[in-house]
Amino acid sequence: MISQSGFEPKIIGFLCNWCSYAGADQAGTMQNPYPPNVNVIRVMCTGRIDPQFVLKAYDKGADGVLILGCHPGNCHYKEGNYRAVQRYSILLRVLKQFGIEEKRCRFDYVSAGEGDKFVRIMNEMVETVKELGPLNNKN
Amino acid sequence: MKIGVYFCHCGSNISDKINPDKVKDVIERVDEVAYFDTVDFMCGEEGKEEVEAGIKENQPDRIVIAACSPRDHENTFRKVCIRAGLNPYLMQMVNIREHIAWVTADSDKAVAKANAYIKAAIARVKLHEPLEKEELEILPNVLVIGAGPAGLKTSLSLAEAGRKVTLVEKSPLIGGLPVSFDEVFPNLECGPCMLEPILDEVLHGEVSENIEILTLSEIEDVAGYFGNFIVKVRQKPRYINLDKCIGCGECIGPCPVSTDNEFNYNLDKRKAIAMPFLGALPNAPFIDDKICLRSAGYWGQGCVFCRNACPVPEAVNYDDVEKIHEKKVGAIVLAVGSDTYDVKKIPELQYGKQPDVYTSLEFERILTPTGPTEGVINTMEGEAPKTAAIVHCVGSLDKNHMDYCSAICCQSAFKYNKLISKHHPETKIVHFYKELSLAGKEEFFLYNQVRGNPNTSFVRYKDITDLHIKTKGGKQIIEYKNSHQKNDKVNADLVILCPALVPSKEIDKLNQLLDTTVDHFGFFEELHSRIDSVQTKIRGIYIAGTCQAPVDIQKTMNQGMAASGYILSSLVEGRKIEIDPIKAWVDQDICAACGVCGTVCPYKAISFNEKTARSYVNKVLCHGCGTCVAACPVGAIIGNHFTNDAIYAEIEEVLA
Repeated sequence: MISQSGFEPKIIGFLCNWCSYAGADQAGTMQNPYPPNVNVIRVMCTGRIDPQFVLKAYDKGADGVLILGCHPGNCHYKEGNYRAVQRYSILLRVLKQFGIEEKRCRFDYVSAGEGDKFVRIMNEMVETVKELGPLNNKN
Repeated sequence: MKIGVYFCHCGSNISDKINPDKVKDVIERVDEVAYFDTVDFMCGEEGKEEVEAGIKENQPDRIVIAACSPRDHENTFRKVCIRAGLNPYLMQMVNIREHIAWVTADSDKAVAKANAYIKAAIARVKLHEPLEKEELEILPNVLVIGAGPAGLKTSLSLAEAGRKVTLVEKSPLIGGLPVSFDEVFPNLECGPCMLEPILDEVLHGEVSENIEILTLSEIEDVAGYFGNFIVKVRQKPRYINLDKCIGCGECIGPCPVSTDNEFNYNLDKRKAIAMPFLGALPNAPFIDDKICLRSAGYWGQGCVFCRNACPVPEAVNYDDVEKIHEKKVGAIVLAVGSDTYDVKKIPELQYGKQPDVYTSLEFERILTPTGPTEGVINTMEGEAPKTAAIVHCVGSLDKNHMDYCSAICCQSAFKYNKLISKHHPETKIVHFYKELSLAGKEEFFLYNQVRGNPNTSFVRYKDITDLHIKTKGGKQIIEYKNSHQKNDKVNADLVILCPALVPSKEIDKLNQLLDTTVDHFGFFEELHSRIDSVQTKIRGIYIAGTCQAPVDIQKTMNQGMAASGYILSSLVEGRKIEIDPIKAWVDQDICAACGVCGTVCPYKAISFNEKTARSYVNKVLCHGCGTCVAACPVGAIIGNHFTNDAIYAEIEEVLA
């Protein structure tokens, strides 16, 4: 698919405070630039992410949503990330019914030491959503 | 509403990329923004004073601080708010340094992103509620479960700090395993002698009044939370008055019934009234009412042999009954130790079928002058063993049994070697091992000595099932395949198996009562395996000794002290515990009584009140993760500071 010229996607990134937000902070410390399209919303735990937050983001104009949490077994709150990934898998089915492509909603694990992985995910996600084009065009 | 916005230049870290004037132009025009101030280094003393003075002068209802990561300085600026008289939760930080200035190539895009973030923070902070930290009274007393080395060390150090300690022990004696050992590695120090000073301090020392010892006792029920636990302890009758008994043992001889002696792993017999072994403390016998003729009913109430033999009136008390003690404590220490692996699960070893095959714990008792053979190491036929085999790694480092190294067996094995050689210098001893694990400054000590013994040899094996213990021609032998798959055999008049240390059944029971967690082996799980290995995931419940992992006495003692340290620093008499307000709570008017929240809470902080048919969050146990908030199907749970409304406002504004 050819990306639409000049399209700058709006992406919301829900990040858990302890691992992924810290990973994003590390990416900052490394001063390795990435596209500014992802707007970060900090929550204490991915377990706090109500699937309705994601739906709200699409409703208000987001072209993509990222959910980043601690690696399995590393959750600051023991198992919030497991809840999050369970909800995510159900959410994907709901999104399908709305006609929203799976690729517009990505779940991944970023630890506090994975600044480079965070940057890679930022680049990949922006690229992916650019290829998909604006969400509004489809609905 | 009056909102103040502060923008930190961070020297030039932020302002080089994000032009403050361009941000000011946009943000100043946002509804309800009363003023926009810039500060050079906001986290420096001068910067903080500037913000504090600004808040005092302008009296904003809310403030937004655009600076670095809240992970760095949220608490710094909350303190500034407190000093300036503003509720600290009415401040929102925006991370324009790590998340924008340092990672955005284009300046204009950085400005646009910073503006979007600050506007989102303004939308969010308007919805913030002032929150207050709550304070709760605490009980400084502590309950310790298990009177082995870890439990004793914890109890004694807490008692020395003036704390009242209840020490609960399942067996009739205190001291744990090492008091039943003759000598302990690495220095072959006498086990009871090593522990004697601690035992004496606990029983009769200056601070012993601070320690209540409940032997023959188990935990029945636990309710409450950090600072305020209520623990029910069930104590079996001992039938001996510990205040009166002088420990002379006169009562034991006349007792007419015997049973297998579990304190010597059934290698000999004991009476219905018995001391676990000579020198066991408290120095008093107990009556086993399962076999005592009085309770067994054979002779009705007739048998009074022990009482008649006792020189002290009322020391033997047939009227003793089971007691339930209710203890109110602020913290609980779990120090229940571990078990050894059941070697019968490895049939090739013929344990229980061959006469001269012992487990390490059995052999410890054989080595002891107070044990079943009074310290004599002979075969069942009464001869000195000409050959002996010591098998390491029995059930350890084995994917079919226990995956891990049990950490203490190698040193125990070399201790057995030394002690067999001491009694029988001519005995040829072979060590069968999978791996040798001797890291540390003292751990090689016994190994080096044993290596120098010409009667000692080593065979490395690959799998425990490569060893077969048999009797051939009246001789006990081990047929084996070594690690190079070569078949061979060796005479072994005496075989000592060193089984893995494994989680005890007590752990399982306590884990259910206390809502703690266990790891995939079944040991108590630590809050963090590296940095918080003495805390469980339930606040106020600590773990010490081999119920956390296989560890030696040194580490056990250190863990016992660490548990005391945690308690003394977090549960301070006269100081209330502070409860962070970023917690969840259930709006009782909305709760639909489905109970889903209780099932997702990782801390068992949510209980269901049957009377009101509503769920309820315990503020002390809640860690504020918000998992229940997202799970509630009717939106009855509010996550303080991370409310749905605040997050929606942030989403909406950042996308606007």
